[in-house]
Amino acid sequence: MLVYPQLATGALGQFPVRKRRRMRTVTNLAADGSAVKLADPAAEITEWSLQYAGLTDAEAAAIEQFFEAAEGTLNGFTFVDPVGNLLAYSGELDNAAWIADPMLTVTAGDPGVWNLANTGEAAQSITQTLSLPGGYVYCLSVYLSAAQAMAACLLAAAGSSGVNVGSAWQRFQYTVSVDASAETTTFGLQLPAGAAVDAQGFQVEAQPGASKYKPTTAGGVYQNARLASDALALTATDVNHHSATVNIIYVNHL
Amino acid sequence: MASFPALKTSAVAQYPATRGFQFRNQVLRFVDGSEQRYRDSAGPLHRWEIRLEALDEGEMAALDSFFTDNQGSFASFAFTDPWDGRVYANCSLASDEADLTSVGEMRGQTGLTVVENRG
Repeated sequence: MLVYPQLATGALGQFPVRKRRRMRTVTNLAADGSAVKLADPAAEITEWSLQYAGLTDAEAAAIEQFFEAAEGTLNGFTFVDPVGNLLAYSGELDNAAWIADPMLTVTAGDPGVWNLANTGEAAQSITQTLSLPGGYVYCLSVYLSAAQAMAACLLAAAGSSGVNVGSAWQRFQYTVSVDASAETTTFGLQLPAGAAVDAQGFQVEAQPGASKYKPTTAGGVYQNARLASDALALTATDVNHHSATVNIIYVNHL
Repeated sequence: MASFPALKTSAVAQYPATRGFQFRNQVLRFVDGSEQRYRDSAGPLHRWEIRLEALDEGEMAALDSFFTDNQGSFASFAFTDPWDGRVYANCSLASDEADLTSVGEMRGQTGLTVVENRG
């Protein structure tokens, strides 16, 4: 499927980024102010307005090529929230979105904190697989601490990165470039045999570095998003400098 | 029951914040110009306009999730009046739309209006 292009910096957007949510609720309002409400979850609409400035020739060309490939509003594409955490249920490691190996026990600790213990004799991991665009740069980050110093591995795509976890909370991050042909990417944490660790704040972002942790439920991957307009204006502001605004819409029922 | 998310300072609103009240009185006007008024509700309904700026990404995500989880104006939640600390158990968002703008890093802004429900 068509995917929205990342900039040369690895970011998907520039500030300011505007995100707009629209729901639909049917309300029958009585004279005394009481109301009967009916939700329409399928009517949810999410819109982003991405304003670009200082784009290079190559970045502007990538956006123009993407616009032509999408044929304006005609074709859907995969879009990842440029200001969101892409993981689903990032703070609920016992949710079905996460896959824990059989000998890894996952128990809730302090609010938001999860105790992970490998009771097996081989490395065990907890992972989440996302249907993400290939060819992107992604950053996995997580806060870890351990009563006894230990080594763990951050997992992202086919790669892994070893980290030394101590008794103080520390945020670790691992940035990977995913192969262009990849249709799904797996992120997670692997513990060696007998190890235990406290973890919180799992986050995956489509950019080279980690930003402040954002807890999620639904995640930030939007399949079949569309451009909101059949028109695109690219303005050359200087040599190798372009500006543009791209509006993207995701509608549940399309 | 869900509660309106507090900022990391534990506050739920920033200045300027607006609080409103809504009665629902009815007026019958007669041909001679006189009129008869009566209450059509048990009391006023409250309304709070909350405008938030300089939010960090975590606060923005919490408000975004809160809006989505409530399905806009559909669901009810408890809201603590920032003026007097009184808890209103049956409130909803007033609108089915939320606008979240990230002006820069740790510079998010949004606005939500909370209304008290009858019953």
